[in-house]
Amino acid sequence: MINFLYRFDPRFVLLVVAAIAATVAATGLRYTARRSIVDATIVVDLTGSMNARDAGVAGKPVSRIEAVRAAVRDLAQSLPCRSRLGLGIFTERRSFLLFEPADICANFDAFDGAISDLDWRMAWEGDSYIAKGLYSAIDVAASAKSDLIFFSDGHEAPPIPASGIPDFEGVPGKVNGLIVGVGGSGKSPIPKFDDDGRETGVISAADVPHDNRHGLPGKSVESAAGWHPRNAPFGAQAVAGEEHLTSVRSEHLRTLASKTGLSYLELNAGRNLRDAVLRSGTLRMADVPENAAPWFAIAALASLLAAYGISVSALRRASQKLSTLVR
Amino acid sequence: MMFNHPVWLLLLPLALLPLFADTQRTEGHPALLDLEYDLLSAILQLLLRVAGVLAIAGLIFGLAGLARPEYVIERTGQGSDIVLLIDRSSSMDNTFAGQQPDGTQESKSAAAKRILRNFIERREHDRFGIVGFSTAPMHVMPMTDHKDIILAAIDSIDRPGLAFTDVGRGLLMALLMQSRNPTGASRAIILVSDGAAVIGRRLQERLRAEFARHQINLYWLYLRSAGSKGMFEVPASNEEDTPQVLPERHLNKFFEGLKIPYRAFEAESPEAVAHAVNEIGKLEQKPVIYAERRPQHDLSRYAYIVALLGLAVLLAAKAAERSISSYAGRANAA
Repeated sequence: MINFLYRFDPRFVLLVVAAIAATVAATGLRYTARRSIVDATIVVDLTGSMNARDAGVAGKPVSRIEAVRAAVRDLAQSLPCRSRLGLGIFTERRSFLLFEPADICANFDAFDGAISDLDWRMAWEGDSYIAKGLYSAIDVAASAKSDLIFFSDGHEAPPIPASGIPDFEGVPGKVNGLIVGVGGSGKSPIPKFDDDGRETGVISAADVPHDNRHGLPGKSVESAAGWHPRNAPFGAQAVAGEEHLTSVRSEHLRTLASKTGLSYLELNAGRNLRDAVLRSGTLRMADVPENAAPWFAIAALASLLAAYGISVSALRRASQKLSTLVR
Repeated sequence: MMFNHPVWLLLLPLALLPLFADTQRTEGHPALLDLEYDLLSAILQLLLRVAGVLAIAGLIFGLAGLARPEYVIERTGQGSDIVLLIDRSSSMDNTFAGQQPDGTQESKSAAAKRILRNFIERREHDRFGIVGFSTAPMHVMPMTDHKDIILAAIDSIDRPGLAFTDVGRGLLMALLMQSRNPTGASRAIILVSDGAAVIGRRLQERLRAEFARHQINLYWLYLRSAGSKGMFEVPASNEEDTPQVLPERHLNKFFEGLKIPYRAFEAESPEAVAHAVNEIGKLEQKPVIYAERRPQHDLSRYAYIVALLGLAVLLAAKAAERSISSYAGRANAA
């Protein structure tokens, strides 16, 4: 009887618990957890203004495309497994799908390689009709049955005509997703490249049109210098402007987002792209197998350490008792 | 050896705890001097300490995600590194009869998609890369052995294409993709297009130099639409024989002049395409040494098993524990 009580030491219980927990951990038990996942097509604006080096942290400027590459890579690494991402590019007025959404965890190397090869050289035209490109990206995402993540600086070239942003013909909110504004808020120059891809300076004010003379002229144009209703409906003077400089056009992108039922996020340090993507996207759940072993291993470790802890405190108590006895 | 969650290793000093304490009960004894040195006791104590260290360290190693990193083994088999150079111009969206696809006939791009999918799925040991070309060459997917993402890229080729067919710069991009991957495997470029274009003289020189530098097999799968010029067509005597008039014929002549292993296939129907792809499959069947990637292998289980062994020893010792006083009591009673 005494013997039994003696054996009923808390350390004995703790060791039994630790042994059971370690046994479970060693069996490699798995459980399935429901996780919210993302299924999205990423479309990246590759027009000229995306080469401007005003993204990234102060003192370490990187081009907007580089900032997008880094952001997409981070996003791909932080999304829960079973999430799928596809990739497309946008120039001129169209979005062009490179590959349909594919499982991001299983194919990370290849996805990463495809992202790092994104380059302005793949752009087939210099124009940048952002609104039309966005609408076509929405169509692409809809046909791939996924959400859309659209990276752009919002810099329309040529500028928007007097008639305003072209109408969105789709159903707003049918495709969920996010527009991500890329670039700094200050004006910065756009690099210029020659036929062989060598950088040859920056785009000057004379290189780009500063107003749009397609369609009907706006109302206020009548006061322009040299205006004539037939011979010079937009005024006779070339408009001076700052279209050769670029900054992220958040207002424009925000307007486009509200027109199409997407969300808007400015890509800046500290903004969490992953959370924004999960929040703005269609809620999708998947059963993801999770390893239960670590939880049991933690329990085993805690009990085992507690057992040793009791011994340490018992030892200290015994030594205290001994010292009082000696005294 | 590697760890997936190395933060846990910060707890490793705790594994020294069993050297200072043990799980057995400490009891007072009036005179330690009375006890003789006992070898068996010393061995048992050492055993218990080692068991304690193993149990704690094993659990920590398991939590830290002990694993064998991904590694590559070389095997021999049949396979190649293949770059698919795919025409994404809008003419690919028409049927072989040059019409809008209807219910009965599929478009050239849809046929190419179906047949290439099938080809990729059958080629077990091949690695694929994809370059698209139209008005500009487009890097779609670097060389990879992940089949799903390659198939995802193939799935996108029957979407509306762009305007032109800039085959020269596309070829250059495909060549550069191959040269970035110096492997021992046989290397091939499969050009899938429904037309050709004039390649400028400077680019021709560049292509010639690149092809001469690398040992690369070239296959051209020409999806010929009804009424268009064939690649083997010899012009009548009153017709002009220039690259502008007969771009396919002259591209074929350019490829033949490269003195590289080159085969041209002219396909006028989906069946002919399937046949040509089978032919390419047969040609790309040289035995090669290919690298097989073995994925990272989780070893945390074995760490837990080691911990469990340590725990079993500790538990056995605990279960066998007897008090000196209970012996003393029994001795008194006797």
